[in-house]
Amino acid sequence: MNSDKTGLIFFPAFDWAISPTHPEREERLLYTRDQIFEEGVMDLPQIKEYAPRLATLHDIARTHFCVPRVQSQVTEAHLIAAGSTLQLGDSIINKEIKNGFALVRPPGHHAMRVVHGNRGFCSINNEAILVEYLRRRHGIKKIAIVDSDAHHGDGTQDIFYHDPDVLFISFHQDGRTIFPGTGFTHELGGPGAYARTLNVPLPPGTTDDTFMYVVDNLVLPVVKEFQPEIIINSAGQDNHYTDPLGSMRFTARAYADFTKKLKPHLAVLEGGYAIESALPYVNLAIILALAGADYSYVMEPDYWPGRFKESPDRISNVHRMVDQLLETWEKRDQVDLQKIFGTGKFYQRKKSIYYDTDYIEEDQLEKVRLCPDCPGYIVIESRAERGYREPVRIFAVSIPFQACNSCQSEAYDLYEEFKRKTERSFDYLYLQDKSTDTCISYDKKKQKEWITEG
Amino acid sequence: MYIGIDVGGTCTDAVLLDNGLVMATAKVPSSDNILTSLLKALDQIMKGVPAELIERVVFSTTLITNLIAEKKYDPVGLILIPGPGLSHAHYQYNTDTYIISGAIDYRGREIMPLRHEEIQNAVNNLSAKGYKKVAVVGKFSVRNNKHEKEVASRVKQYNPDWQVEMGHQVAGQLSFPRRVVSTMLTCATRDKYSFFVDSVNEALSRRGIKGTVYILKADGGTMPLSKVAGMPIETIFSGPAASTLGVQALIPPGETSVVVDIGGTTTDLALILSGQPLLSSRGARVYDQLTQVRALAVKSVPVGGDSVVERVGKEILLYSERLGAPYCLGGPMPTPTDALRVLGLTNLGNLDKACEAMESIGQPLGMSCNDVASYVTNLVVDMIVQEIEMMFLQWQQEPAYRVWEVLQKRKERPRTVVGVGGGAAGFITQIAARIGCYPVIPPYARVANAIGAAVALPTLQVSLRADTEQGYYTVEEEGYQGKIDKDPFSEEDALLLANEWLRKRAENYGLETMIEKTEVTRKDVFTMVRNWVTTGRIYDICVQTSRGIMGHIGSRGGF
Ligand SMILES: [Zn+2]
Ligand SMILES: [Zn+2]
Repeated sequence: MNSDKTGLIFFPAFDWAISPTHPEREERLLYTRDQIFEEGVMDLPQIKEYAPRLATLHDIARTHFCVPRVQSQVTEAHLIAAGSTLQLGDSIINKEIKNGFALVRPPGHHAMRVVHGNRGFCSINNEAILVEYLRRRHGIKKIAIVDSDAHHGDGTQDIFYHDPDVLFISFHQDGRTIFPGTGFTHELGGPGAYARTLNVPLPPGTTDDTFMYVVDNLVLPVVKEFQPEIIINSAGQDNHYTDPLGSMRFTARAYADFTKKLKPHLAVLEGGYAIESALPYVNLAIILALAGADYSYVMEPDYWPGRFKESPDRISNVHRMVDQLLETWEKRDQVDLQKIFGTGKFYQRKKSIYYDTDYIEEDQLEKVRLCPDCPGYIVIESRAERGYREPVRIFAVSIPFQACNSCQSEAYDLYEEFKRKTERSFDYLYLQDKSTDTCISYDKKKQKEWITEG
Repeated sequence: MYIGIDVGGTCTDAVLLDNGLVMATAKVPSSDNILTSLLKALDQIMKGVPAELIERVVFSTTLITNLIAEKKYDPVGLILIPGPGLSHAHYQYNTDTYIISGAIDYRGREIMPLRHEEIQNAVNNLSAKGYKKVAVVGKFSVRNNKHEKEVASRVKQYNPDWQVEMGHQVAGQLSFPRRVVSTMLTCATRDKYSFFVDSVNEALSRRGIKGTVYILKADGGTMPLSKVAGMPIETIFSGPAASTLGVQALIPPGETSVVVDIGGTTTDLALILSGQPLLSSRGARVYDQLTQVRALAVKSVPVGGDSVVERVGKEILLYSERLGAPYCLGGPMPTPTDALRVLGLTNLGNLDKACEAMESIGQPLGMSCNDVASYVTNLVVDMIVQEIEMMFLQWQQEPAYRVWEVLQKRKERPRTVVGVGGGAAGFITQIAARIGCYPVIPPYARVANAIGAAVALPTLQVSLRADTEQGYYTVEEEGYQGKIDKDPFSEEDALLLANEWLRKRAENYGLETMIEKTEVTRKDVFTMVRNWVTTGRIYDICVQTSRGIMGHIGSRGGF
């Protein structure tokens, strides 16, 4: 069955909110619902609407280290948002649909590998959970994720920073002017995945023309050359000119043009908080673009062509940045990695992560094993502080799905060694083996271990 | 005593119920003038029963459905106000359509004004082409009917004798394209519907019946029969709804069953889940057109006892059309009924003729008469079983927009397969065996439709949407929009208002007793926050009288 339909899961979670007045509240997709239902989108012959489904706790544990356990970090709404993404992933691989849009909330692209709480309105990373699921269930290897949210997709970047088979491109409002304050051009991935992470920080006020320049001259050629089996778009909509959190000036039409050019297999809703003036129009335009339908009649009521102009100086700055990034990409295999990342058994980086929703401060040490035969396993030591509570310390090991045998056994040994240690320097231990789809967590105090297998 | 009458295309069926028992049934051919067949059916069931004892009469009919199928109605011109969104190229309805400027958004705000010269131009053109019926439909008119009202009043001003229907009065749910179709069909069938109402009233008054008179809607509820109240298109598919309710009345309460109504050329399938007929999640599809009519989920499969069976090369094929009666009943071609006759699963028609029909197919293939008969029966059973499985799958995969809806998704399997309709007897055992159920052919299965009509109850529903920031509310079913005059306006206030409207509706229909038991089927509350300040709330509330039937046949005393 080779279908040319576009799959849609619309899950507005009309009975879920972070808090009654939080931007992630029941109302967020209400007007989007009104618009797509009134347009009769679900009746279009190109559209196939699916029911949402629940992701399993193991689907989450395959991607994240949730502290202390998965069920303490996710609500049912999170499992439904993630599960809906997986449902569309299955349907695309089974060729029931040619592409899809998970128009779901809550969002996920700020959720990192370790989850101590909610940050940037996100608890678990829907796209990352899908990537690991596609690899495990369907044997997919190479995946490109293009993040078009106004905020840097720092969670997705964190999870795939050392993965050479995931290309992550994020364009967003310059991190010096907006949460989470990252996503600069020098963040290019770890030693085993150099230039598989590309960041395009754009100045506040950037308009459609510059957006399209980045797409045409960087995103499209790089994605094409990477030759992914699946392309995912983290379809945040806070670059819209009316968004209350972002300061960019993209239009619904430009979002649709971008979708038409990128041809993602799956778009997943991320941010976007202009719930009346942007979301109904942007979402409709993206759906129509995915379905190959005419979106030229979709227009915000207060927009007229030529409304926004940018200064030539700023435009040329962006052009220069794009040129440099493209050069970095093209020369990715010629650079001297030892010069950038040093030598030794491990490459390590320290991270301070702030959870803006839950007021948690995390200090993390991440080490990746430098291995000639595989991307290497990852070791994480993390300590999270929340107010005056006792800090929580965890130790976690993640084995990538491409791991070689010696990395795999080294990683298990390490986990066992820390489990045996009598002094309690860590509260919880984790082992995530993506090569066998086994997830283990250990509670030091209770001396209890949980194992799940996919 | 209660009467139920189903006015079908070929037959008019009637039953008389008393105290939960079927006292009399009638099946007469439908005449061109429905009055004649109505009188005939009434006379058969009322032999010796004084007219004063009849408390209630309920009708179901496929007349409107058939009119639409055969396109036997005057042309309706369209004036549409879609505004921005989907390409206007989507709005093709096989009639003269004028798209004019103007737009309302999801909150009911005007985002683009009407242009009067365009309205005038549309009217002039429709007039020149001889139209006298016009449907005026705007996108989001259910949130603000200002544009529709203004256009309609202009049309009336130029041509006072025209029939004009407005979208917000016909179809209150969201979906502009479905609203267009629903409004157009309402406009097209309203006068035929009032003719039906006149005939019914005439028949009842000639027989001196003074009980209350209702008509069955596609969703299995009834409404008082009157020319003004109600929309004719709500009666489409009231025929299949009647059969489903009939089965509901004929089986024990709370049962999960598949209803299989096998007719001459089509088989209607419906689901009864824990005793309640399943409603279709969106509006009914009327042939190739999607409407907003709330309807029971009834699936029509193009196969029945009279379908044509033919051998093509080495294959035996089943066709959906009917070329006449089955061969064993003197028809021209072999049919599934002939197969059943050979297998002894029916005693309709002549056995020798049936064998002859099967042999004519089997001979070139070296198959015996019995082999062909079982093969053909299997083909029919296969087709129906496949559709039943599909219906369950679709029901399980219905979208959900709230966390609780996803969590409460049930997987339910039927316990019984209930056969009604002429062709059911022969097939039902095999269909049931295939899906692991018990076959049931209830008594009075032949007039299940009329029984369904007789036991149906009025249903009333009010969907209230109140927007406290805009300061107005709408009532979907009434096409009403009014001011909120209380501040603050709380969730309880919204619920009270919805219930007040339900009471008002009940009074209008003379159904005051119905609102003793009501239920809230939807209650969404959306807090509006702008610039970190709560600026208002949107309440989306649906209250309705409880669904159900008067009682179960044979249970006695219930009704
Ligand atoms: Zn964002
Ligand atoms: Zn290795």
